[in-house]
Amino acid sequence: MIYGKMWCVVKPSVGIPLFLSAVAIGSFSVHLAIVSNTTWVKGFLNGKAPAAVTAPAEAPSGKK
Amino acid sequence: MSDHQKVWPTGLTEAESEEVHRQLIQGTQIFGMIAALAHLLAYIYSPWLK
Repeated sequence: MIYGKMWCVVKPSVGIPLFLSAVAIGSFSVHLAIVSNTTWVKGFLNGKAPAAVTAPAEAPSGKK
Repeated sequence: MSDHQKVWPTGLTEAESEEVHRQLIQGTQIFGMIAALAHLLAYIYSPWLK
């Protein structure tokens, strides 16, 4: 297996918590950024229905 | 040169290192599959990307 011998030089007691922490912190950061920078998460969690996708209203056609 | 009985500075042999790595990869794959399923459900049932 590729990189299988890395644990000969990296102590698993250091490398594995480091790896799991990187995954956890990265994942948490992405989700926090989504919750902080959008409005629909809060709305959805408070029971607001997703906004229906509507086609933009056609511009009134004036006489030429 | 590759001595499978050699104990490296971390206290593991090459075989043990490969075993640790296999378990870590398997755990990552299972985590990834669960995460993919969770994202699929979020995509279906939430306004995400709608």
